[in-house]
Amino acid sequence: MRKKFKLIIYSLIFILIIFYPFIEKNEYRLYVMNRALIHSILASGLVFLTGFAGQISLGQAGFYGIGAYTSGILTVNFNMPIPIGIISGTVLSLIAGLILSIPSFKLKAFFLSLVTIAFGQIIWLLISNLQSITGGPRGFFGIPLMYFGKFIFNNKAYYYVFLILLILTILIMYRIKHSYLGRSMLAINDDDVAAETCGISSRKGKTFAFGFSAALAGMAGGLYAHLAGFLSPEPFVFFESSKFVAMAIVGGLRHLSGGVIGGVTLTFLPEILRLNYRGWENYYLVFTSFIIVLIVIFLPNGLGPSLFKGLDKLWEENGMSSQTLRNIRKSKK
Amino acid sequence: MEFYNILQNLIGGASVGITYGMVGLGVVFLWQSINRINFANISSAMLSAYLFYTFYTQAKLGFVFSLIFSLVLVAIYGICLRFLIYEPISRRGGARLEFVVATLMICVLWLNVIIVFYGGLPKPFPHIFGEATDFVRVGKFSLPSVYLYIFLVVSILVFIIHLLLRKSFIGKALRATAQNKDVAQLMGINVDLTTNLSFILSTTFVGIAGILLAPIYFVSLELGGGGIGIKGFSAAVVGGLIDPYGTILGGLLIGIIENFSTFFISSTYKDVISFFILVIVLLWKPNGIFNWTTRQETLL
Repeated sequence: MRKKFKLIIYSLIFILIIFYPFIEKNEYRLYVMNRALIHSILASGLVFLTGFAGQISLGQAGFYGIGAYTSGILTVNFNMPIPIGIISGTVLSLIAGLILSIPSFKLKAFFLSLVTIAFGQIIWLLISNLQSITGGPRGFFGIPLMYFGKFIFNNKAYYYVFLILLILTILIMYRIKHSYLGRSMLAINDDDVAAETCGISSRKGKTFAFGFSAALAGMAGGLYAHLAGFLSPEPFVFFESSKFVAMAIVGGLRHLSGGVIGGVTLTFLPEILRLNYRGWENYYLVFTSFIIVLIVIFLPNGLGPSLFKGLDKLWEENGMSSQTLRNIRKSKK
Repeated sequence: MEFYNILQNLIGGASVGITYGMVGLGVVFLWQSINRINFANISSAMLSAYLFYTFYTQAKLGFVFSLIFSLVLVAIYGICLRFLIYEPISRRGGARLEFVVATLMICVLWLNVIIVFYGGLPKPFPHIFGEATDFVRVGKFSLPSVYLYIFLVVSILVFIIHLLLRKSFIGKALRATAQNKDVAQLMGINVDLTTNLSFILSTTFVGIAGILLAPIYFVSLELGGGGIGIKGFSAAVVGGLIDPYGTILGGLLIGIIENFSTFFISSTYKDVISFFILVIVLLWKPNGIFNWTTRQETLL
């Protein structure tokens, strides 16, 4: 009976995800959902970087911007097809990520986060000041929307494209997590000196993690450029980077679903709080950050693990799968 | 390109830079006592500037009272930061990263609170340090008098900090706690009190820096946003996150470099240049350039 219950709940969630665009009648909410999927891809990269490899990046919006503007410039100024634009944006931010991984060999935690902040700020300043290339604060217009044959994508089509890419991302992350590379990353995260003595190259893991998360951010940027149709420097400021890290933390750092849960929750949170009362127009921003602070304080492990733990309690399974490593370590102590 | 130009840039950069050093001191005090970085460090600058604006211009309480009230409120905010953010997170097993994200979100929270209550437009700062158009002129040399006032006030403050840290028992206790918490506790130092004190000192110094920066940047959201905060972090990094004097010197250095890059290259890329220098310094000497206090072996 309990097992059937589990099957029913999971298949309901599955059906909801697959048929969401047909259930949702509100076009704006569907657009927000598409943004949420893009953010989920990006936050998954951060979960990979921070949760698995133990490195901090507060400059993820820089990679996001590199991907978006590369794709935009290639498709508008050079008339390249859209896939080539997105792929070259991904590759360019991959290269930037590999370069940014060099400081991580020497620096840790706060110092590394300062380097990444500086990187993100430099990219943002370049975007807003190189007006001849990026359009600067006036914005960059006329980026083509995705199309297939003669069918120009609407929000429903975008939803499925992003969903497939997100599922691919999660699958790749799952495979890497259970490979030699992933396990060595977890070892580096726990103690990189001990990992080095066991013959694990910490540089390899760090380089890979930085490159992978940067590539994901670049891809997300390219997708965003072709979803929105125009670009301005605003989505690439430092506070967006901090929002992406908040997504990873709120979702749960050591959980594969963390990026998805955090991305969807934090993208929808301001929209839910945007009530239509008089005098409430501005307060939703205050409450959004306030709720994030509360979640970080009261659920340091994130929503993802707590959610799965709650679901497991429904059918009384004490599966280890939903426990984070931190919990396991704590219970051993 | 003449001598008085260089001198002008030097003094202008130094007086802005020394306030960056003050912002960096906030980082240093917290790092010494709890080994955490408060990313909402710069918010206290914005808060105190807005509070001062409220008390002085809107409530007309007079200079001394509005200064005292705004700084006391910012100090109370420091205590709140400890008992509402730091302690709950550490009690639930949250590590550094959780503190980082919580403080980043607090930074965003304060920005939004200010937008809700004061609106996004910059407010004019009351003319306490003279009019914005007042210039000190010696021959060809001319500099807004605000800069000289700032330099003077911060120099006096640095001297007070020096007395506090080196000549008083409180300073000794603070430094002992910074070096080794457990041993300091064994020696009969009230570590709980010194932790409170460093939270208070951290937010108050940044608050003073905020009031001093307000004549230059106006009472605006820029005081609580990325730029100045990151320069404060850079100043703290130059001092190796532990040396107060090194931090002040680092701030001076950053301010001067920034001013000269505006003068020689362009004002749009001055931030790019200062961030680039920050990255190079971090890679070259992660322990800080002006760090005479202690060598930290592991920078975890």
